[in-house]
Amino acid sequence: MSLKDVLSPFTAWKYVFRDPVTIENPLRDRPGAARYRGFHKNDPELCIGCGTCETICQNGAIDMVPAPGRDPRQGDSALRPRIDYGRCCWCALCVDVCMTKSLSMSNEYIWVDRDPDAFRFTPGIDSKRWDSAELGYHRPEHHRLVPEHRPHMGELEPEERIGSFAEIVDGYTVEQARAEADRCVSCGLCIATCPAHMDIPNYIAAIRDGDYRHGLELLYRTNPFSEICGRVCTHKCETVCAAGHTGEPVAIRWLKRHIVDQVPYEQYRDVLAPPAPATGRTVAVVGAGPAGLTAAFDLARLGHAVTVYEALDKPGGMTRWGIPEYRLPYDIIDRDVDVIRSMGVDLRCGQRIGGDVTLGQLRDGHDAVVLALGLQMGRATRIPGSDHPDVRKAVDLLRQATAGEDFGTPQQAVVIGGGNVAMDIARTLARLQKQAFGTVRVTVTALEDFAHFLADPDEIKESFEEGVVILDARGPQAVVIEDGEVAGLKTWKVKSIFDEQGRFAPSYDETDEMIHPGSMVVEAIGQMTDTALLGEDLTEKLAWNRGRLQVDAKGRTSEPWLWAAGDMVRGPDVVSAVADGHRVAAGIHAALTGKEDQA
Amino acid sequence: MRALLDSLKSLYPLDDIVLQRPDLAFATVPAAQVRGLLHHLKEREGFTHLVLLTAVDWLEDGMFQLTYLLHDRARARDLGLRTLIRRDRATMDGIHDLWPTAATYQRELKEMFGIDFPGSPGVDDPFVLEGWTDLPPYRRDFDTKDFSERNFNHREGRVTHDPAAHMKRHLYPDEA
Repeated sequence: MSLKDVLSPFTAWKYVFRDPVTIENPLRDRPGAARYRGFHKNDPELCIGCGTCETICQNGAIDMVPAPGRDPRQGDSALRPRIDYGRCCWCALCVDVCMTKSLSMSNEYIWVDRDPDAFRFTPGIDSKRWDSAELGYHRPEHHRLVPEHRPHMGELEPEERIGSFAEIVDGYTVEQARAEADRCVSCGLCIATCPAHMDIPNYIAAIRDGDYRHGLELLYRTNPFSEICGRVCTHKCETVCAAGHTGEPVAIRWLKRHIVDQVPYEQYRDVLAPPAPATGRTVAVVGAGPAGLTAAFDLARLGHAVTVYEALDKPGGMTRWGIPEYRLPYDIIDRDVDVIRSMGVDLRCGQRIGGDVTLGQLRDGHDAVVLALGLQMGRATRIPGSDHPDVRKAVDLLRQATAGEDFGTPQQAVVIGGGNVAMDIARTLARLQKQAFGTVRVTVTALEDFAHFLADPDEIKESFEEGVVILDARGPQAVVIEDGEVAGLKTWKVKSIFDEQGRFAPSYDETDEMIHPGSMVVEAIGQMTDTALLGEDLTEKLAWNRGRLQVDAKGRTSEPWLWAAGDMVRGPDVVSAVADGHRVAAGIHAALTGKEDQA
Repeated sequence: MRALLDSLKSLYPLDDIVLQRPDLAFATVPAAQVRGLLHHLKEREGFTHLVLLTAVDWLEDGMFQLTYLLHDRARARDLGLRTLIRRDRATMDGIHDLWPTAATYQRELKEMFGIDFPGSPGVDDPFVLEGWTDLPPYRRDFDTKDFSERNFNHREGRVTHDPAAHMKRHLYPDEA
């Protein structure tokens, strides 16, 4: 050992009073990188509790738990993800798949606690110091595990479709349907919103698996009108679809249609179990629309003898007589109805109750009677001139159009109303005008402005494409009559529709007046039920609620033998009518089997 | 790059040629030709640097795809060579004699995909997984969720809820 070796350690002392070049206590502050995947954050207002994060988690680290103070509502399960950091591997798949972008990760990763259960918490609900951290991992906009858009569905071009009543949309091909089914994350939030609570995630899964027979079986469990609903359902389910939060909602209605398109019709009966043995009980149903026939379908399958009386010469109710053929071809209705009939339902068309057969006779001859009359009478505006014979109701014209009757297609027409029925009659008139005169001259005047329009956006778009003129915020004042003939409609600009209490009380700007020329004015402002068949005595005896027959939760009226279902008690909507048909059938079955127990 | 590809085509059965950028191209070549072509590229064409060697599991087709990415420093260009080998006979000639660094990639591919490179130094040694006994984890038929459920316990007291069932219970308990 040299002298240098002995002395050199002491030379280090010369650095004692210099500034250190190292960082003082580097362990005190160690921020994660800007996009570090640290502890999770969740925006509880944005989160819908779809549970997709739980499903994708490859470590089983996420549980969906009820969030205190939140109740489930349409489109939100009120569950929120709780993460177990004993299992989380910080891969961020949950963030990447999050359907609302509510879930993200902070760049915070240092946390010491002696209680292992502290590392299981619900981000956004259990407050943490990193809740407001801006840095961390968020799904980049271009990075998507679920595609944003639906496959394009082929449809007839406007100039092609306006010349006929041919169906507009093509339906999906198998490849398109699989691609669309792949966008469904099977969260099931839609089931609560569907009035019939159809098993949407599983029938979409059946499309992914290519098992259409199973798909059809699932459809029939909750809806005997899947052919019809696959085309014209109001698809409320799609309004709550998880995919709709950052992209287009899954095309649930078209996927349903795809299933019925794929299964050969001859095989439909095979997916349904045969009806139960006869119970000896009989039920009469008045009205062969979706509600009446759904009730008939359920009751027949339960073994009851069901007779359906329909006043018109073909079944289907408003789906046939109210919805134009370009939206719902008539043979599609026949297919659904024939399956129902094959369950042993005795369907008697052209038999109006109140004529040869009275309601009293039905009561005496059956254990229960269901009224499913629908909403077939158009409401009147009662404006001056509206009693002219060329002022017509939309529902009457649609019925005549279905029947192939000539009601004298006007060269120019004005429609009052802004709902789907107004669009249906406008587009029907447009087609008839195109066929008769080669040009479309239909003006629709709606009370609502476009921001609050009642008709579906697709209907409005397609109406415009077909040359229909739609004027919003126009209030009808009088039918203009010249020399005894209808010459047009006078309207004023609508300032507001409801008063401060929310009652219907439109106010107008009288200085903004317009005359819309036309030789026919069509009222499409709502429908009501023709209850004449009840007769005076029964009408007096029954309980009513604002002009609608009052029923209990099961659909029973104040007369124990009489039940009611569908549009006449629920308002106009096919799938709600189906749901109501199920409800009333379940109620009647319980009542009838209850009677049997007592006997 | 186009000229290079044309000359290579006359020597080797190249397929699926993609000129992605002026300085980046990909081509597919049969597995048996890979070593010869790589040797040619390294010694004759200036692709002296092996950038990476990686794999893709085409489960549905029953194939693994190997991608060799080479760099030509002098001309600042990259060439990716792809080859497909059968998944059920996942063995490939090593290239560690051409680039010693390839041994590390080959060891990784053995561990993560189960693709063997006989004779590659340390090819059977653990790479990042220690004591792994399951399917190689980058194979697409490896079920990560199932593996984690089998190997890691859940803390007691965990409960989860199905959103659809939870909504039914609260919003429409009496309906079918």
